[in-house]
Amino acid sequence: MNAYLTSTGSFLPGLPIDNSEIEDFLGRVEGKSSRLKARILKSNGIKTRHYAIDKAQRTTHSNVEMAVSAARNCLDSSPVPTRSLGMLSCATTQGDMVVPGFGSMVQAMLGVPSVELLTTHGICSSSVMALKAAANSLRLGEHRTALVVVSELASRLLKSTRYEAAGGLAAMDFNSEFLRWMLSDGAGACLLEGAPRGKCLRIDWIRSFSHADAFPVCMGIGMPTDATDDRTWQDYPTYGQAEAAGALLIRQDVRLLEHMVKLGVDGALRLIEEGTLDTAQVNHFLCHYSSHHFRGKIADLLVMSGAHIPQDRWFTNLYTRGNTGAASILIMLDEFLRDGRASVGDTILCMVPESGRFNTAYMHFTAVAE
Amino acid sequence: MTFSRPLALSELGQSTLRQLTRAWFAFERRLALVPIVRRLDLGTFTLADYQQLLLHLRPQVVEGSRWISRAASSFDRDHSDIRSVVLAHANDEHRDYEVLESDYVATGGRLETIRQQPRNIGSEALNAYLMFRAGEPNPVGLLGAMWIIEGLGEKMAGNWAKRVEELTGVHRSCTQFLRYHANNDDSHMNKLYGLLDRICTHEQAAGDVVLTANVVGRLYALQLEEIDGAQ
Repeated sequence: MNAYLTSTGSFLPGLPIDNSEIEDFLGRVEGKSSRLKARILKSNGIKTRHYAIDKAQRTTHSNVEMAVSAARNCLDSSPVPTRSLGMLSCATTQGDMVVPGFGSMVQAMLGVPSVELLTTHGICSSSVMALKAAANSLRLGEHRTALVVVSELASRLLKSTRYEAAGGLAAMDFNSEFLRWMLSDGAGACLLEGAPRGKCLRIDWIRSFSHADAFPVCMGIGMPTDATDDRTWQDYPTYGQAEAAGALLIRQDVRLLEHMVKLGVDGALRLIEEGTLDTAQVNHFLCHYSSHHFRGKIADLLVMSGAHIPQDRWFTNLYTRGNTGAASILIMLDEFLRDGRASVGDTILCMVPESGRFNTAYMHFTAVAE
Repeated sequence: MTFSRPLALSELGQSTLRQLTRAWFAFERRLALVPIVRRLDLGTFTLADYQQLLLHLRPQVVEGSRWISRAASSFDRDHSDIRSVVLAHANDEHRDYEVLESDYVATGGRLETIRQQPRNIGSEALNAYLMFRAGEPNPVGLLGAMWIIEGLGEKMAGNWAKRVEELTGVHRSCTQFLRYHANNDDSHMNKLYGLLDRICTHEQAAGDVVLTANVVGRLYALQLEEIDGAQ
């Protein structure tokens, strides 16, 4: 049995925020503007993004509210009734609640009865995990419809007060500050069905390769600033002490990021070698690279290894919608499809390399008509 | 990380390049698990680690020019173009162990110590394999060995040099060996790309190149693993 992606939706909170306004929303640590900001923004190429917090760093939309807005946006374009959904498959890096699962909260607010529920846990690639599980449930014939909803509210982690509570400027380094200028908020959704509907995407395959066995953590929350302290956040007597030790900050080990580029290409080469992927036949390439800096590196490696995809086949909205982590690929897919960029017969390759501990995911679709 | 771009390649050359690229990535994953490399990644690498690294690299580096020279002499007249490239390469590097020794001395080590350092288990296996392959007639598979060993220089040595200096506080005069390879191995890699189409004229040769790359990658990692194993 096949699975088809028949509708997409997205939600971006508030107005687009340009580079000069970022610190008005995230706040200035100890009242001072960042020295690294300009350098990191120049490298990532992001011009505008959205935040679900206001200039007083108050939350304007919860993560669940954004998720449900994207879900409704997706279902509004489809005749499938919300209450008839067979499966609800959700992903986020961090829900509003620590527990229960994000999916439970989305289900409650969306109002879907007796649905089969899944929440995947991870960072960027958790969206692909959620989508694959949903597609497989259709392929098995267990359900006729499955809604995938992915939402991210990173800005709450990036507020100046978080850094001040963890020792302020004196305790900040490149790795702890890096993601302040990379991540932003938003949600995406897609509806999967067991039969095609109108012009839609057939899911050809979804694959992923994880390399956590080989490399240390590259992006995470839970480890303290002091690298010799092997405790994680819940090992401290109080959450206050964990925060003071920097164990609640989101960090990126920037030095390890180059592995992500290589592993992303490595997975593509595996799929080529086994005959699953033919990059020469790819009409559209939607790659969730976190930063413009990596686009050239990925392209160079693909050229070098004979898996070249011409630049005019690449599509991204990173520069205007920001890097919304797991939600990025669905927000990208939504804009791509709504722009009418895919013609019937076109093939679409999506690639989501996650730096967390190096999981790289790939999806292949073909545009078909009912 | 820099990857040079190859010239236009035949279909078999292209497929071999893909497999070599994957062999390289697998090698990097294997390296990331080696204790001394993990310490470099995690920032717990010490000056003593660096001295051990130099000590354990030297025996293989000294032997390096020997296997390349032997390989050069194993190419017959029908492969004289390949022999020329291999010879030039041997000439470039046949005394680079002196740079390595001088780095060791600059870190405070004694010249006698590094000169007396025996091969570890990994270096022994790597050297034996390379010398054996180099003695075979027309050992085209050794292109795969050069892919891994030159690749280390091109893609990793520069990062390692910077990281070693950052973590141990040693001066640049202590990392000349790594820096030399970071600065020169890209031209060597370009010569390798040039040889791919020449060598990969049939499946068997192409397969041999990839196999040799994988074996050398595994043995090279073993050599680095043994730095901790030997202590």
